[in-house]
Amino acid sequence: MPTPASVTPPRAMRWAVAGSVIVMIAAGALFYYASQLAAAKRKAHSSEITVTIHPHSCEPDSLSVPAGVNSFRIVNASERAVEWEILDGVLVVEERENIAPGLSQVINATLAPGDYAITCGLLSNPRGTLHVTPTAQSQASAKARPSLVAFIGPLSEFRVYLNSQGNALITAVDALSQAIATGDLAQARALYLPAREAYQRLAPAAQRLAELDNAINARADYFEKREQDPGFGGFHRIEYGLFSQSSTQGLGVFAQQLHANAVLLKQQLLAQSLPPGQLVSIVARTLHNLADTRAGSGEEERYSHIDLSGFAANLQTTRKVVDLLRPLLAKNNAELLQRIDTASTALEAELNSFKTPQGYITYDTVSDLRRQAISNKAKALADALDGIDPALGL
Amino acid sequence: MKKTPFALLITLGLLHTPLSALAATAPLDLVGPVSDYKIYVTEQLDLLADNTQQFTDAVKKGDLAAAKKLYAPTRVHYESIEPIAELFSDLDASIDSRVDDHEQGVKAPDFTGFHRIEYSLFSENSTQGLNELADGLSKDVQDLQKRVAGLTFPPEKVVGGAASLMEEVAATKISGEEDRYSHTDLYDFQGNVDGAKKIFDLFRSQIQQSDQAFAAKVDKNFATVDRILAKYRTQDGGFETYDKIKDNDRKALIGPVNTLAEDLSTLRGKLGLN
Repeated sequence: MPTPASVTPPRAMRWAVAGSVIVMIAAGALFYYASQLAAAKRKAHSSEITVTIHPHSCEPDSLSVPAGVNSFRIVNASERAVEWEILDGVLVVEERENIAPGLSQVINATLAPGDYAITCGLLSNPRGTLHVTPTAQSQASAKARPSLVAFIGPLSEFRVYLNSQGNALITAVDALSQAIATGDLAQARALYLPAREAYQRLAPAAQRLAELDNAINARADYFEKREQDPGFGGFHRIEYGLFSQSSTQGLGVFAQQLHANAVLLKQQLLAQSLPPGQLVSIVARTLHNLADTRAGSGEEERYSHIDLSGFAANLQTTRKVVDLLRPLLAKNNAELLQRIDTASTALEAELNSFKTPQGYITYDTVSDLRRQAISNKAKALADALDGIDPALGL
Repeated sequence: MKKTPFALLITLGLLHTPLSALAATAPLDLVGPVSDYKIYVTEQLDLLADNTQQFTDAVKKGDLAAAKKLYAPTRVHYESIEPIAELFSDLDASIDSRVDDHEQGVKAPDFTGFHRIEYSLFSENSTQGLNELADGLSKDVQDLQKRVAGLTFPPEKVVGGAASLMEEVAATKISGEEDRYSHTDLYDFQGNVDGAKKIFDLFRSQIQQSDQAFAAKVDKNFATVDRILAKYRTQDGGFETYDKIKDNDRKALIGPVNTLAEDLSTLRGKLGLN
């Protein structure tokens, strides 16, 4: 019987043994490296700030930390489960609920410079203060161009706006369509206005959908035979019937088409993704167009002359966009934001000067001089808006 | 054998690296789901406001039976959108604080909202003296509606909301603590679960792109929780009281609920929002 020691291991086996030794050494080295890394990470977390919640107060009740990521260890030394919150005004920035008595939990919060409040257990307990001081890094990042993540909020909110305004348009067109169906001319004329306002709030975004937008909003000028052209439909065909021909006759089919197209418009607006760089440029384009042609000519609502309410609706959407970007702009270019706000207030004041208790006066009664004033103010606002994309690095 | 086992192992190791680590979600892909979530929250708030109106009307009319019946189905709309509702700390306290949050307990003058009214209806069997509390609740809910409408939803709060809802279930619903007078906790339970599942569903395609197995696991746990809760549904679409829940079912819920809370807490990281 040969002893095992006398057998020479096959060549492959020797390689395998050598290989596993190397793997083991490599694994050991990796493990050492990883544990060092973890230790370093733990060290970074060792700068935890401990807040102890007593039955009637927090300790400390006044904190000052540098901007950036901070770790708070909340120790519940009271007899009830508590929640701990960092508040910016009434808004919760970070919170942990149900910290059991005698236990502690860690909360990591990324904080921007400013003054916050911290809750301390029972609702009736006095709140503590949390002062976050700027750091070189926080100041640099405030000036830097915002990351794409920063646009998720504003773009989402704009999509929600398109959804609600889309619903408003459908409802308004539905009402208009019913008035036309019953042949109620006065009612149909009255309902044309709110339907147009709803459309004008969507117009900046709708203009991206060329064909559908034409079906909804094209003026007679774009058709070979103008008003008599069989292709002429949409809002302005209805306007022509109601205000120029003073009749609801034959408008039912246009109203039904318009309703179907309004439904389609909402669907398509929600399906389209809007890049951050377009959010401002679509409203700026609408205002440039207002300044360059619509204000002077009054061509948009040439039969009903309700142009002013459309201008105001355009401005509302513009303001919505500015408000959505306000937090980014305030950080990034406060001076530009100031200029935009001034220009938008001036345009609003100009439009308001045409308001009566019954609404805006009709545009055919507005003089060329005053039309020029509207145009100038719309241009000033559009020009200021053009500064946003470069300021935000878009 | 040409290749050394070492090289072979390294190759195998590389092949084993999950591809998920390489696929990151583009931030702008989150715009659709975040906005759809706000639309969902807005709809839930409309329901909350309508139902609260009916509930508080019943309270003020002194219709104890109707008020008791409306209490739980009204609250459920608050529970489903809690990640957003509780961002407003003052309203969260006045609408949904529990007796434990107040030093003077039920006598505390600032103990208002659903649970204060619940106390009178179910513990004292009375609608006496609730007028002011009913009006206050209605007003607070309308205020919440307005504030939410004006709020740009922070994407990390939306995504993080799925986990916080399940944590809430784990911390306060399994023990039957939230609706301690009415024992209608199962409504709130379902509301929290539905709210968490809604968030997960909205981000499903982004999550599946990077981790199919994870999505399947989460789905399975949601299905388990829903199946157990469904056992306690009543004819009218409501739920049995919490004391009816069998011990083995309560225990069977703990595992999936905790796993969901844990798994969903990785969503922010998976979607690049940490």
